[in-house]
Amino acid sequence: MATENQNVTVQRVEPSFNPVQDEDLDQYGRELQDCTIVDVDVHVDDTLMFMFDYMDGHYRKRMETVLQADFKGEPGNSLRNMIAHIAWLGSSYDKPPRAKLATKEDLLARMEKGIIDYSILFPSELLPIGYLPEPKWAAALATAYNQYMVDAYQNLDGVKIAIVVAPQHPQRAAEEIDLHAGHPDVVSVCIPDVGVNPPIGDEKYWPMFEAAARHDLPISFHGIEALIHDNYPLRVAHFHTLMQVNSMGFPFTSMLQIMSVVCAGIPVRFPNLKFAILEAGLTWMPFIMYRLDAAYLRYRTEMPALEKKPSDYIRDWYIGTHELEALPRRGDLVRLIDLYQGHDTTMWASDWPHLERDLIAGLMRYDMDDTLRRKILGENALRFFGLAPRK
Amino acid sequence: MTTAQPPARQTRQRRKITVAATDDLPPGARVEVQTGRAVIAVFNVDGEYYALFGRCPHQSAPLSRGRLQGTVICNAETCWETEWAFDGEILVCPGHGMEYHVKSGEAIGYDLKLRTYEVVVEEGQVILLL
Ligand code: FES
Repeated sequence: MATENQNVTVQRVEPSFNPVQDEDLDQYGRELQDCTIVDVDVHVDDTLMFMFDYMDGHYRKRMETVLQADFKGEPGNSLRNMIAHIAWLGSSYDKPPRAKLATKEDLLARMEKGIIDYSILFPSELLPIGYLPEPKWAAALATAYNQYMVDAYQNLDGVKIAIVVAPQHPQRAAEEIDLHAGHPDVVSVCIPDVGVNPPIGDEKYWPMFEAAARHDLPISFHGIEALIHDNYPLRVAHFHTLMQVNSMGFPFTSMLQIMSVVCAGIPVRFPNLKFAILEAGLTWMPFIMYRLDAAYLRYRTEMPALEKKPSDYIRDWYIGTHELEALPRRGDLVRLIDLYQGHDTTMWASDWPHLERDLIAGLMRYDMDDTLRRKILGENALRFFGLAPRK
Repeated sequence: MTTAQPPARQTRQRRKITVAATDDLPPGARVEVQTGRAVIAVFNVDGEYYALFGRCPHQSAPLSRGRLQGTVICNAETCWETEWAFDGEILVCPGHGMEYHVKSGEAIGYDLKLRTYEVVVEEGQVILLL
């Protein structure tokens, strides 16, 4: 039923049992048609069953047990932690219903709208591997994921892949980078940074950074709503609601890892390395930059490798807008970006199709000049991921 | 929580928009009305009609597509126990889940109220008064 009277359209609609996904793009399609748009945080279905065919030997056997056990019973020991985590999150997603995982067809349908120039695919179910206690098992999962993603998602128009590594096995992480960095559709290495112990600047991880620097492959840190650190008192167990975990987990992890990387002098040792932080929002950026600068006055001698103050390094980090904090006034986003000097580093990210994904209207509602909007929507991401403009 | 009342004094001629024949908007059904730049969501909840501003102030998701369900409340009247309430009257934004009382437009847990519009039935037609 659609009737027209006096320039009025009446449209019968049905309630949506999945969160709305792409209507926002349709709404802004015309306005954005000559603008480069890169969605720097997109997730497709990477359920563990897809990893099965990419596992060998006893890891394959173990995965078989996990899948057969239907995530109950006695699955492969350390994976159980990961599954328990997912089950807990799943149970809390009651409003709106948890977004379905996007299939390849869903992704292609979204790209076919012709609005988004590039989607960068990041892991979803694999993000907790950073805190699996068993390095080899974590590395085996990462290897399987990377090969699956390359096989399934290469040569698709505008689709690019971030491989994942298990930081607790730096040697295997470096090998994964060496193996995939030359692939034209692999544009970044994702470090799942939540729960990584010790923090990611530690010398044990340097082979991984060295490999990324060798191939000029930018590093993206991507958290999960899990925990900040694996030690008391910062474990998830000490938060009793998902809101607390979600609000604190991402930015606290990000601040911890930025601080760790910068204080370890990694940007000095590997000056060509580019870093991005995803899914942690933006508002904490000025805090960590200028808090560290204040402490640097007193403690500089603890990190003699640094050649400039911490904020001079951190302002070069790229950052994804998701999950965009609900700033109250329309001019606030630009004020915030000014504070962390992020005009050339802020990148639009939706987190599609996850429940908490940002609609593009969430960015468009903030006032900003056209130059900055274009940088955020795509130009900064083209530079970070080394992509050619398509418009 | 109060149901929206029409303004006490009407200074201009109100615009009438025919939304649908009552038969075409049975209980449970909803329509989205677009007039100029305004988008309005109209619901039939158990035979009563309610019309609200149609875009969520958070990130503009279409409220006409929200599910109607209940929600949990916890206040002095419930002796600070959590209870299920307003069954079938809470419009859940299909964007990220903000909740609105469909009868009043009030957002649950926010100091925010969506604009509401009067709906009347005349000669078997559901009419929106602007
Ligand atoms: S758009 Fe309504 S809650 Fe986000």
